[in-house]
Amino acid sequence: MKKFRYSLATVGVFALATFALAARVGEPAPDFTSVDNNGKQQKLSDYRGKYVVLEWHNQGCPYTKKHYESGNMQRLQKDWTAKGVIWLTVISSAPGTQGFVTPAQENEYLQKMNAVPTAVLMDSGGTLGHLYAAKTTPHMYIIDPRGNLIYNGAIDDHPTSDGSDIPKSKNYVSAGLTEALGGKAITEAATRPYGCSVKYKD
Amino acid sequence: MLGVHFMMEKGWHIYWVNPGDSGQPPSFNWHLPSGFTAGDVQWPKPERMQSSPTLADYGYHDDVLLAVRIQAPEFLNINGGDLQFSVDAKWLICREVCIPDKAQLKLSLPPGTDNANSATAKLFADTEKTLPAPWPRTWKAKLESQTSNFVLTIDAGKPINKAFFFPLNPDQIDNPSPQLLRVQPRGAAIALRKSELLTKPLARLSGVLVLGDGSAYRLDASSIAAKAVK
Repeated sequence: MKKFRYSLATVGVFALATFALAARVGEPAPDFTSVDNNGKQQKLSDYRGKYVVLEWHNQGCPYTKKHYESGNMQRLQKDWTAKGVIWLTVISSAPGTQGFVTPAQENEYLQKMNAVPTAVLMDSGGTLGHLYAAKTTPHMYIIDPRGNLIYNGAIDDHPTSDGSDIPKSKNYVSAGLTEALGGKAITEAATRPYGCSVKYKD
Repeated sequence: MLGVHFMMEKGWHIYWVNPGDSGQPPSFNWHLPSGFTAGDVQWPKPERMQSSPTLADYGYHDDVLLAVRIQAPEFLNINGGDLQFSVDAKWLICREVCIPDKAQLKLSLPPGTDNANSATAKLFADTEKTLPAPWPRTWKAKLESQTSNFVLTIDAGKPINKAFFFPLNPDQIDNPSPQLLRVQPRGAAIALRKSELLTKPLARLSGVLVLGDGSAYRLDASSIAAKAVK
């Protein structure tokens, strides 16, 4: 029986090594530097002192479209950046996959959709996506002013691609930011993200 | 039985009741003649689809029949004309990209007759064989919670060389992590990495266990205190 227990412990160590990088709520958010839609370097730790939202994005994904064609995402970006929150949209689609865009195409899209994130991070290599283990578009994260991850999960509680569900949905990002900015701990700090899979190169 | 038969082009897939890390299961809203009721979808054993080291989904490729058991009323007027059945089906179908789609499907059946043609009957019979069987009475399953993993120990009275566990509920195990199996004289021990979204202790782990020979069983393992395993 002793041998059996030893083997299981070994199994645990192997599995752990593979996923040591994932972003966990309550722990420091992994720092990163990424180039944005205007060719500027964006470094997470430069935003210490502010709340930061990360939004994984793919403009062709029906679940992303649900929140952009309804104006829901743009409203969130506008409302929260007006309150001093930094909003970073992240595109991890690899070249040749759905959602991959050049900076010029992305700027055209932002203008057409009236989207107002602080910046869009061009992560076609998937480095940032894998660093945060982003699974879906959308997949949302909130980082507090001290650099800790305080929310990881879905945009809301209706995992569908149907825009008519938005009015009856609880928006977890708004709820989380409202609580956090009010000095409270976030009630639902980890939820199951929903949407299309992020179109990584591997 | 009534079912919706999905025949997909190569490379496309739809999702299981627990879709995994992305996707969405099909949904069905049945419209039945008065007195008829529809049961739950009978989900065949799923496949695992891993698209990256951090993403794994559960679903079906190629061809799948998602059926429900229809209960007829005790008394049925057989002179009342044909019975009209319809279903509003919604599904998400994906390859590299995902497309949400829907259809209203209709069927008209004369009462009191067995209208199944042989091709349909075979489809239902073949699908029946892919449904997970009830857990065998003589088998045992227990779940031990460790720091990062669950260890699912199966006692089947014989060694199990290959098995895969599909969790019925999301947010319990980490879908893309490898499931590491250790063969035992009376079964196997499978290490399953816990989901990062699992925030409280798990009393039970439910799902489907698919063995190397393709046989599938509905599993419901209750958690035991770690110290009980000596």
